[in-house]
Amino acid sequence: MGLENFAEATDTTRDGLTGNATAVLHEVAELLVALAERGETGVIDLGGMPLSSADKAWLAERLGQGEVEMTLNLDGASEVRETAFHGVWWLVHHNEKGVLTGEFIETGTVPALVSAHPDDIRQAADKLGFLIDEL
Amino acid sequence: MAGLAQHGVSRRSFLKFCTTLASAMALPPAAGLAMAEAMAAARRPSVIWLPFQECTGCTESITRSHSPTIESLIFNVISLDYQETLMAAAGHQAEEALHQAIKDNFGKYLLIVDGSVPLGMDGAYSTIGGKSNLETLKEVAKGAAAIVAMGSCAAFGGIPKANPNPTGAVSVSDIIKDKPIVNIPGCPPIPVVMTGVLAHYLTFGSLPELDKLGRPKAFYGETIHDRCYRRAFYDQGKFAKTFDDEGARNGWCLFELGCKGPVTYNACATTKWNGGTSWPVESGHGCLGCSEPDFWDAGSFYKALSMPANPLKTVAGAAVAGAAIGVAVSFVNRAKKSAAKAAHETTTLPDLEK
Repeated sequence: MGLENFAEATDTTRDGLTGNATAVLHEVAELLVALAERGETGVIDLGGMPLSSADKAWLAERLGQGEVEMTLNLDGASEVRETAFHGVWWLVHHNEKGVLTGEFIETGTVPALVSAHPDDIRQAADKLGFLIDEL
Repeated sequence: MAGLAQHGVSRRSFLKFCTTLASAMALPPAAGLAMAEAMAAARRPSVIWLPFQECTGCTESITRSHSPTIESLIFNVISLDYQETLMAAAGHQAEEALHQAIKDNFGKYLLIVDGSVPLGMDGAYSTIGGKSNLETLKEVAKGAAAIVAMGSCAAFGGIPKANPNPTGAVSVSDIIKDKPIVNIPGCPPIPVVMTGVLAHYLTFGSLPELDKLGRPKAFYGETIHDRCYRRAFYDQGKFAKTFDDEGARNGWCLFELGCKGPVTYNACATTKWNGGTSWPVESGHGCLGCSEPDFWDAGSFYKALSMPANPLKTVAGAAVAGAAIGVAVSFVNRAKKSAAKAAHETTTLPDLEK
């Protein structure tokens, strides 16, 4: 029996909801206001709190599906999707063997993992310059 | 960061790793970004790794850590100046590398120790370059900013310290009293714990929060039992009675088969082993309690915690109950001790040199 099924099997409530998903939704709302008003980004570690699979499903349903969906190939797949609320992103990380290693909700214009780093951009500019020089 | 890229680790991969590592260490989620930035910066603190009375299992474990690999950590994030198993240098050159690292980074380097320190026969049971482990530890610890005692042997004495402890093995913290020490017990320890402690040290310049046994709370804060996916069966009173009965096949609790999960603090149940593939209880075997002090002497691995751990102690306890029984029992104990003594031959230094 996997951990996901275990959470369901041992759930004492009728619908599998623990009530924690509502609290997370409130936290997302607060982070989104902070982003809108002060430009502050935020992250919630879904693996760091006791959420049943029903809780996660409830949360995913409330946040919905937005326009952007990406798969990043970073030593295992990472799925990044924007929810129906602009600026609220749902990230799921797997390792090389496909095992779930982390699940986060992030608030920001673009998740930090997706943005290109300024140092990498500088390097890329140099590299492209060299490439053109050699033409 | 360019160095990491040379070894096939992209910045995004590294950030992903740091984010999940921060999560595993129960740090605020944003700490992942700080970790990635700090570790990518070219600080490369010197690390000296001393192997003492050990089996190299801890090195085997850490070199199998994944994402990023230990190789990329060694070559880019830290400067591993001395590690006998991994270094190319040998003999006098290796010893020179050690002394040079101590001299160049005095007061600033991180010292990792695996293996216990034997005190018997003036430390003759384990020597490197003609020096006892005790001498080497004292010498190298002097200039260390902090010490990581990796594995149960360095942290608590481990298997070498098991009764009757023929070499007089002790832990690092039994000897060094004036340096911050973090214990990462386990036989072997979980690779991500080692990586996590290194990452914390590199990012924040300090050791993570420790429990009363000097273990990082993030990984040793809860028992195996508390985080075990079979816990519900314990609560329901459903136990496997043998390793191949219906209960075992149904994945019921292994408590009655001797699982030490309820008294063992470690992260196996959440981090798992071999890149998250499985862990002992998931594979059908109870926890041995290898991250706890004196686990080797804590009774049979296959007796339930609720059963008497040590029959010898039990009969000794019964001796208090009645004089007549007591005489018989103490006779039994004496006989056992005599037999043990007779079977044991003391090894002398000349014997070792033969």
